[in-house]
Amino acid sequence: MEHVKEQRKHQQKHSGPKAERKKLKKQGNSTEKDERKRNPKAFGVQSAVRMAKTFHRAQDIKTKKHHIPLVDRTPLEPPPVVIVVVGPPKVGKSTLIRCLIKNFTRQKLGDICGPVTIVSGKKRRLTFMECNNDINTMIDLAKVADLVLMLIDASFGFEMETFEFLNICQVHGFPRIMGVLTHLDSFKNNKTLRKTKKTLKHRFWTEVYQGAKLFYLSGMVYGEYQTQEVKNLGRFISVMKFRPLVWQTSHPYLLVDRMEDLTDPEKIRTDLKCDRRVSLYGYLRGTYLKNKSQIHIPGVGDFQVAEVNFLPDPCPLPGAQKKRALNEKERLLYAPMAGVGGVVYDKDAVYIDLPACHAQQEEIRPSTELVQSLIDTHATLDAKMAASKVTLFSGSATLDSADVNGHMEERIWDPISHRERRKVIFTEEADDDKGDASDSSENEDSDIEESDAEEQEDTNENGAGGMRETSDHGGPTVKKRKLEEEKDVTGAVAELPVFADSEDDLEMSEEEGDAGRAADSGHCSEEDEDEEESADEEMDDDDDDDDDDLSKEEEEGALRWKDRLQQKASEAFLRQQEAMPNLRKLVYGSADSKEEDDSDDEELGGLFRVNRPQKSRRFQANALDCSHFNPDSSHNWDLEEMLDSIKDCFVTGKWEEDQDAATLLKEHDEMYGDFEDLETGEVHKGNNESDEDGDAEEAPTTADDDDVQKNKRLDKKRRLKERFDAEYDDGDATYFDDLKEEMQKQAELNRAEFEDLDDETRVQYEGFRPGMYVRLEIPSLPCEFVANFDPRYPIIIGGLGSNEGSAGYLQMRLKKHRWYNRILKTRDPLILSLGWRRFQTIPLYHIEDHNGRHRLLKYTPQHMHCGASIWGPITPQGTGFLALQTVAGINANFRIAATGVVLDLDKSVTVVKKLKLIGYPYKIFKNTCFIKGMFNTVLEVAKFEGAAVRTVSGVRGQIKKALSTPPGSYRATFEDKLLMSDIVFLRSWCTVSVPQLYNPVTSLLLPVGQKDSWSGMRTLGQLKHDLGIRNKPNPDSLYKPVVRTEAHFNPLHIPKELQKSLPYKSKPKQQQRKGKRPRDMQRPSVIREPHERKVAALLQALSTVHNYNTKKAHAVQHAKHKEFLRQKEKDEEAKLKRQKEARKNLYRIMGQKDQKKQKSSLKGTPKD
Amino acid sequence: MASHGLDYDGCNFFRQRLVLSTLSGKRVKIRNIRSKDDNPGLRDFEASFIRLLDKVTNGSRIEINQTGAVLFYQPGLLYGGSIEHDCNLQRSIGYYLEALLMLAPFMKNPLKATLRGITNDPTDPTVDRLKSTVLPLMKKFGIEGEGFDLKVMKRGMAPGGGGEVVFTCPVRKTIRPVQLTDSGKIKRIRGVAYSVRVSPQMGNRIVESARGVLNQFIPDIYIHTDHMKGANSGKSPGFGLTLVAETLEGCFLSAEMSSTPQGQGDPVLPEDLGRNCAKLLLEEVYRGGCVDSSNQSLALLLMTLGQQDVSKLLLGPLSPYTIEFLRHIRDFFQIMFKIEVRKPLEDERKGGDKVLMTCVGVGYSNLNKSLK
Repeated sequence: MEHVKEQRKHQQKHSGPKAERKKLKKQGNSTEKDERKRNPKAFGVQSAVRMAKTFHRAQDIKTKKHHIPLVDRTPLEPPPVVIVVVGPPKVGKSTLIRCLIKNFTRQKLGDICGPVTIVSGKKRRLTFMECNNDINTMIDLAKVADLVLMLIDASFGFEMETFEFLNICQVHGFPRIMGVLTHLDSFKNNKTLRKTKKTLKHRFWTEVYQGAKLFYLSGMVYGEYQTQEVKNLGRFISVMKFRPLVWQTSHPYLLVDRMEDLTDPEKIRTDLKCDRRVSLYGYLRGTYLKNKSQIHIPGVGDFQVAEVNFLPDPCPLPGAQKKRALNEKERLLYAPMAGVGGVVYDKDAVYIDLPACHAQQEEIRPSTELVQSLIDTHATLDAKMAASKVTLFSGSATLDSADVNGHMEERIWDPISHRERRKVIFTEEADDDKGDASDSSENEDSDIEESDAEEQEDTNENGAGGMRETSDHGGPTVKKRKLEEEKDVTGAVAELPVFADSEDDLEMSEEEGDAGRAADSGHCSEEDEDEEESADEEMDDDDDDDDDDLSKEEEEGALRWKDRLQQKASEAFLRQQEAMPNLRKLVYGSADSKEEDDSDDEELGGLFRVNRPQKSRRFQANALDCSHFNPDSSHNWDLEEMLDSIKDCFVTGKWEEDQDAATLLKEHDEMYGDFEDLETGEVHKGNNESDEDGDAEEAPTTADDDDVQKNKRLDKKRRLKERFDAEYDDGDATYFDDLKEEMQKQAELNRAEFEDLDDETRVQYEGFRPGMYVRLEIPSLPCEFVANFDPRYPIIIGGLGSNEGSAGYLQMRLKKHRWYNRILKTRDPLILSLGWRRFQTIPLYHIEDHNGRHRLLKYTPQHMHCGASIWGPITPQGTGFLALQTVAGINANFRIAATGVVLDLDKSVTVVKKLKLIGYPYKIFKNTCFIKGMFNTVLEVAKFEGAAVRTVSGVRGQIKKALSTPPGSYRATFEDKLLMSDIVFLRSWCTVSVPQLYNPVTSLLLPVGQKDSWSGMRTLGQLKHDLGIRNKPNPDSLYKPVVRTEAHFNPLHIPKELQKSLPYKSKPKQQQRKGKRPRDMQRPSVIREPHERKVAALLQALSTVHNYNTKKAHAVQHAKHKEFLRQKEKDEEAKLKRQKEARKNLYRIMGQKDQKKQKSSLKGTPKD
Repeated sequence: MASHGLDYDGCNFFRQRLVLSTLSGKRVKIRNIRSKDDNPGLRDFEASFIRLLDKVTNGSRIEINQTGAVLFYQPGLLYGGSIEHDCNLQRSIGYYLEALLMLAPFMKNPLKATLRGITNDPTDPTVDRLKSTVLPLMKKFGIEGEGFDLKVMKRGMAPGGGGEVVFTCPVRKTIRPVQLTDSGKIKRIRGVAYSVRVSPQMGNRIVESARGVLNQFIPDIYIHTDHMKGANSGKSPGFGLTLVAETLEGCFLSAEMSSTPQGQGDPVLPEDLGRNCAKLLLEEVYRGGCVDSSNQSLALLLMTLGQQDVSKLLLGPLSPYTIEFLRHIRDFFQIMFKIEVRKPLEDERKGGDKVLMTCVGVGYSNLNKSLK
């Protein structure tokens, strides 16, 4: 039976309307229009209500998408994106990082130690960091991550670590999270694989968000993931956008990728445990970092930064060029902790890491050559520097440390300044520089320009030598610039001023006189004031044109009143250039004066230096503290000249060209052209002709004017466009749009403001901006930090705000985590992760009563928020935190005990608990009692006078006055009489103090391999368990056999008075049985005679008959009367009926009469 | 925790140091306060200032040694609320109020401060001047709203005092960055000529002479005469004038002058006072800028405490007090200002050189304000 029913084949239509329509469609020139137009009925309004509803809904959804617009503060060159790879052990984290690195850079990295930075694209760099299974590491890395790759072993399913990490992320701001399922090749059955994928995906979605990306890595090939899958993952990563997180954008931070110990080896030799001076390196992220600011290193503690420097980027983005992919040289990899990176530069040293694990590096990079030509010794820095020799170019002579340091100084006598200058000369550039020096002495340019020029030369030379790779912006250049700045400072050998202007000379000469006064002296000397005024009101000091006063320098530069008109224009530009540094120096002192201070000024707490005032200015230290700025005495406001000089400050004065009424009017004319004033008949012409004339005139003028014209035109166009926009867009412009625009403007301003300054200056104004590769020097780190350094544990430097370095009381809202299987006890130590910090502290839990009182709780509620007060570091309100009971070891259960948010910061807290004071009456009057046992002294009672007291039975009273004996007793009045057995108590609230424990978790200081075993203070329960202490139970709480006594009821006794007043019904019926009558009271019985008996019987019979008769008669009478009444009623009824009838008749007649009368009146009066 | 502080010598710029210390949370130690003086140590008015600081903060630690020549101040958190303070009569209320104005927006609770003492004296900015210039200035930084007010309840001249001022200020979490680079042209001049315990005619005489000077620039001048009587007139006689020039951009420049306190120095004629005060205003206009010379430091402080955005402000020549303030800002907040001098153009007649101050705020947020 092989016959299979043949299916009919589909017949394509070749004719008819359908076929034609299809044909048209294929041709593309469909005559059918838009569906809305073709079928308007289908899109018509069916129901207005429904339409309103849909509209509202659409608007709701639209507005829900809005976020509060923030100023975009991302730097132009952002720091590398931090990608944290998380997962339980043996899930494939290192393999994934290795594969991704190989994918991006074509390099193989053996051991993943510490952060690995790579250039992944033209505009993106990535830093990979592996997160091990320690909860401390998870917490730290969650705070700095931009993207989390969450590896999940699909063959096992979710593990507790995954959920813990997700919860950590939720608390500390949610970075982007991408799930990656691994070990998918362990599924043999395709269906179970699909099912598992689906269940895992949905569970992941509920944790992160619906539709969160989950990536699948299907299997391994030769111990690596499949190339195509890794490539796809890499693509996802390189196009991903990141959200700005509040904490990260408001704090500077570093993920340290390099660490150097700078401690003097001698010091270490003598004292192995001495504090270390360490420099830490990394890309600055988050926000601006200020020099000398306070930082926190999670796992170590709080420190003050001694010095911050920025270094040339070790992993720079490729320069701007128009091509799609990066070339091999631009695919940089930087991982000093993993032993990659070759040569690393420091502020004053060059470090070389000899590659140990470059096993399969195909390409020999120039840096390797360099590396091999260097000799690295484990000596002190200076020794190392002195010993090392570098051959920059393969053919050239070696370059020794002196060259690197640029310490070839040449002393040149400068004839203009009459001073000796020290010139820094580099061996290669000696000739050029000599030329430069002679040049500079002639044309007295600004030093900045000079150094710029030199820098230019440097780079040119480097470029020529083909040494672009790493030393491009390398040590020598930076060094030289440094030194040049130092020249200004080295006080002993006085220096040529940077500017040859009079003001500068003045200042410099002053500085010579009192070197070191400048910066922090805390005094504004009179010279300063004078100078400042001279800088500002130079033109007007015509009073002191005393020729004798004019020194040589002043002749050179200072302008004088009389010839100012001629000279001003020529010098204006120059002064514009110079005024800035002058005023800056005046205010802040010379930029490098700090180094100078080092020598002779004392340090305060090792942190700040304060310049001591000069002896001669001592009196200044205690001058009048007043914000008044006394007027310049040289201004005489009676002179016409002076009055004239401020004329334009008023609306009555002359306006600027672009704001002048005449110009505006003209513009208006231009815009709207000719018009005729109909009233006067005047015809106003647009000034086209004149414009043309002007053009004709301007044609021969220079190109300069063309530019001006062009600018004007552009300006006009812009204004017109603005006006147009304002007219047409503002209709829709919402508050939100305005806000966004404002933020946009601010962001542009932020970017543009300091753009044209060089980095050295810029750093002083802004601080170190994110994206810079910086070096932080920390003077006193614990020695364990260096000794127990493990690159697998991340070192994070978190910057702190100005107030965040101090401690205070924090009030927080806390909720026990729903997966944590215990409740938390007040006063049990808890480890908190708050801000950058991880620390142990003792919280007090409380709840707010309706009257705002914070009442202490013994335990956290099960499923409810409660308050918690701790003593800890001041952290901004709104910061989330999480709590753990222990960070040591692995626990089978979920470890996050609670989460919450900081609400309030203060230096005092008011958590109260209820306190009941108990007393006993010892003497009772009517409503007054004497009570003892509640207080101990009269004074205590005095404090509570007027307080309300109560007895157990609910009788209320008040404390009146203390009694002298026994001490602590008092008189109280109650609303009722007390019994001696009553207990009196006083309810009061007593404040509970929060224990001041702040114990940072110093997990990074623990020895290698034990870093996850930090344990701090134990909880009470643990302590008891460890010490084997068992509390004796309260005997009252113990169970005892129940012994029941027989109930005995006393008879009810009702007082006689009460009985009397009771109604008879309720009266107790307890009449006594009648006793026997006494004999004398008993009556004798009568015995009748027979006759008498007969008479009595007869009388009895007669009376019975009589009774019977009367009864009968009465019945008859009764019946009769009834009949009578009935009859009477009947008559009455008849009578009424009759009367009614009669009345009816009467009314009818009367009505008829009335009708007749009416009719007749209508007709008119009848004619009688 | 490694907390750190700063050390200073001498009582100069006493308020700046304590105010900045309070705002930055850095402790401060001031040594050698008038140590070489015949009467060493803190003066009464400084002690009174410290007491005022203690009233508005919670948890501050203040230690003064026996001679009063060394002061240690560890700031607490700004608490605010309703406070009353009897200011020392050595300085006027302006001395205290200037500092309070800097602190008020960063409190936990909205501040309502009642200050009693001298409202007007020649050394310090008077209450009228602060009211007319500082409040609009602070509004530009986003400190406004209900209950932002400075009321002169009673006027008290030096040396007797007896004045009363109520200052209320709402609380802000963050301060807005500003771009005040154009002061605009002056559109009107307003003023208050006050007199207490002297003939009410004094006020009119002051107004007359001041108008005489100013009328040649602008016609829109209105000087209000304020003569307080009875209980509101304080304990000493005196008179004075405060002039305020308002520009089109809403900037306020002011000048003021008070009569010399009774029994100190030569008495002044109201006509002279009016004329000199008008000239002072011209001087202030000559200096120019968006903020007048006595409020420079407040404006710079608010710029420093702004968001991490660029703020710009055009000032006249920096006063010595401001220069020192800038140094202190660098000490306490590590913020340096970019200072550019703007020279007037050839044919411009807009007074002297101006200074453009630019800075990036520290991103200060009010840690005291509670979140509920």
